[in-house]
Amino acid sequence: MTNPVLQINHLQKKFGHFQALKDITFDVRAGEVFGFIGPNGAGKSTTIRVLLGIIRASGGTATIFGQNVWSDSVSIHQRLAYVPGDVYLWPNLTGGEIIDLLLKMNGTAHSAKTDDLIKKFGLDPTKKARTYSKGNRQKVALIAAFSQDADFYIFDEPTSGLDPLNERIFQEAVLDLKARGKAVLLSSHILSEVERMCDRIGIIREGQIIETGSLAEMRHLTRTMVTVTLGDDFDVTTLAGTHGVAAGHQPHEWQFSVEDAQLSAVMNTLAQHQVIALQSTPPTLEDLFMHYYTGKE
Amino acid sequence: MSPYGRTGQLIRLNLRRDRFRILMWIILLAALMTSVAWKFEGIYGTQSEINAIKGTLASPGIVAMFGAFSFTGKVTTAEIFANEMLLFMALIQVVMNLALSVHATRYEEDLGITELVRAHAVGTDAPLAAAAIELVIVNGFLGILYSLGLTAANMPGATIEGNWLIGLGLANTGLLFGILGLLTAQLADHSSSATGLAYSLFGLSYLARMITDVQHPRLTWWSPLGWVEKLAPYNHPNWTPIWLSLLLALVLAELAVLANNHRDLGAGAITTRPGRRNASVFLRGPISLIWRRQRNVIIGWIVGIIIFGIAYGTVFNTIGDILKTNPTMQQVFGTAMVHEANHKVLLSFTSLLAIVMAAVAVIPGMQLILKLHSDETRGWLEALYARPLSRTRLLFSYVGTAFVTSTLAYVGGLAGIVVMGDASLKHVQDGISASEFWQGVWAQLPEIWVFLALSVLLIGCWPRLKALSWFYLALGFISVYMGSLLKLPDWVKNLAPSGWMPRVPQHDVNWTTFSWMVALAIVLVIIGWIGYRRRDLHMS
Repeated sequence: MTNPVLQINHLQKKFGHFQALKDITFDVRAGEVFGFIGPNGAGKSTTIRVLLGIIRASGGTATIFGQNVWSDSVSIHQRLAYVPGDVYLWPNLTGGEIIDLLLKMNGTAHSAKTDDLIKKFGLDPTKKARTYSKGNRQKVALIAAFSQDADFYIFDEPTSGLDPLNERIFQEAVLDLKARGKAVLLSSHILSEVERMCDRIGIIREGQIIETGSLAEMRHLTRTMVTVTLGDDFDVTTLAGTHGVAAGHQPHEWQFSVEDAQLSAVMNTLAQHQVIALQSTPPTLEDLFMHYYTGKE
Repeated sequence: MSPYGRTGQLIRLNLRRDRFRILMWIILLAALMTSVAWKFEGIYGTQSEINAIKGTLASPGIVAMFGAFSFTGKVTTAEIFANEMLLFMALIQVVMNLALSVHATRYEEDLGITELVRAHAVGTDAPLAAAAIELVIVNGFLGILYSLGLTAANMPGATIEGNWLIGLGLANTGLLFGILGLLTAQLADHSSSATGLAYSLFGLSYLARMITDVQHPRLTWWSPLGWVEKLAPYNHPNWTPIWLSLLLALVLAELAVLANNHRDLGAGAITTRPGRRNASVFLRGPISLIWRRQRNVIIGWIVGIIIFGIAYGTVFNTIGDILKTNPTMQQVFGTAMVHEANHKVLLSFTSLLAIVMAAVAVIPGMQLILKLHSDETRGWLEALYARPLSRTRLLFSYVGTAFVTSTLAYVGGLAGIVVMGDASLKHVQDGISASEFWQGVWAQLPEIWVFLALSVLLIGCWPRLKALSWFYLALGFISVYMGSLLKLPDWVKNLAPSGWMPRVPQHDVNWTTFSWMVALAIVLVIIGWIGYRRRDLHMS
């Protein structure tokens, strides 16, 4: 197997006495989309800024393409594209000028693809950046990033100002990158987006990565939600292996969650009580997220 | 809800937001005024001292810088004080007011804060009214402090009426230009062009008063900045300028309200046009980006300074003609001596102007260097840092542009004085020669570079302290500009690089001083560069 594009080992960052990053370890490989999730202030953007060489790590190592993110930043950036969460653009330049300038600084030029993206995202490139809304500023950065032919793409909450239509265009473009074997690091709050696109996920809390893995792997760590309607008066609260049992809206309807290990035993018992309807929902990323953050369910 | 609803709450909010900057300005200005007044009897206490300076103040060169004042009868210490300080203090006060007024209105609007405020039950004109009242409070308070300070200093010849006239006169001049800032804030579509517009009008009033002062002091009434000169606080107290400036301030305030009611929030009365669809071939890297963003500012400064120089040059024929003030000289000394004397006068005038030009030329360069840090904190550099662009290249793009801008501005300004000045003379041999001009250039450039290099050092190593650059420049300017009139000790003049080089072209360039000043500038830039490469960047 080839080396990962991004490799982070026990990364730490201190601002004065405040330890913003305590222990960050994960990697991103070519051809995969890595979802980076966590609440506000957990350290997502700080991690990304270390990766860009904007701030210097206080401990641990981080490499992109096998090169040090601080000392070799210029040669790394040759093959990297980045879209910040809050896009600030030079107010008296137009969107079109900014896109071209950003491309030129990477040694590429405005291409047919750029025009195509401008049309797809519905951006008016003749407007001064001062007059753009948040979503339009993000479009400028996204168009510049997607028209670049990089090997590693970093998106820091890129769709927070986009409408659902543009969000879909963004997702298609990212999946296209993946199909072309590029590596993508996507930090996001929109969990459905991460769920749909990401191969692997890293969850960060208070400056620490607390879980990495594929969504399927993570699901095993939590419980499946079950809603069942039975044909008799069986009291599900007496059933072993269930959690948070509650009576449903209908008679004989129950809702509870069950750990994966207990699932088959629970199902066997229920089967003896004439199951009329059964609905089981695997935990969503949101459930996982809540599980890690609140320590409940 | 009336258009002025909740103005009171906004005023309190403004004063709290600006408390630190207001406090700094008030302390600095009041301390400057009072301490000079306090010391003044020691400087110009005796009649012989007064008579000596009286002649100097009447010379056209000094009139061009400090304003025309008429002396009649026995001149007192207080009258000399008013002559030297009034216009100078008015200039500083205008700078303070323009900074406060644009910051309180257009700048807040650019940040989106005004939008947030106006979404609440706040009147449409309330933010504007709050800013205007904030200016009234600050200027009024400062004016009262001046009057009390002057009364406490109790200079010989000072009167209570004169003290209050100075305090209120300066307060009103400041207020007038502050309100002008509020008006330009409504016309322009963002804060920097509002500031630029206000400063252009300020510069125009300054030029108008300078030219009229030298040639026809009566016409100075046409420049609002000239009104402070007409107060004549300690000889013929005149309250007309105060009513005039109040009246004009009211008119401007009314215009600002009108403009505010006829525009959308976030837009100016002058609308933004759509721009280019693609970048020009020229726009391709950090330097061209700075040029593209700042070209109006850079060109504006350079052209402005050249115009300033030319305007000063036009008064050469008045200043450099001793026969006008002393017609008997030619008979006594002969023609050659008169030309020699004329040349001396022009040299010393040019030396003084060179210092002013140098200090003014530092401003655009310093702004560009400090912009590297404000761009950093505003997130505008984040997109650049993610490109294959080293910090070294980025830093030197800003710094290089800054050094070139300041250098061009200074050389252009001095050339404006000398070329226009020599052209206005009847006898060319009275004027400044080419070699004297180049001496003047080489003498002031190291000073400009040291000031800029200091800013590079601060941005690279201690960006939080960047405001020190302005303090240091102000100190250097005041110590040299006012130094000889206030008879400041040499160590005060030597605190800043502006005092390290002897006055040129009056004297020759000291090449040893030149070399070590240039070396110092290089060292400061290198330390700043190393710091900038090593430190974390601050993103919003």
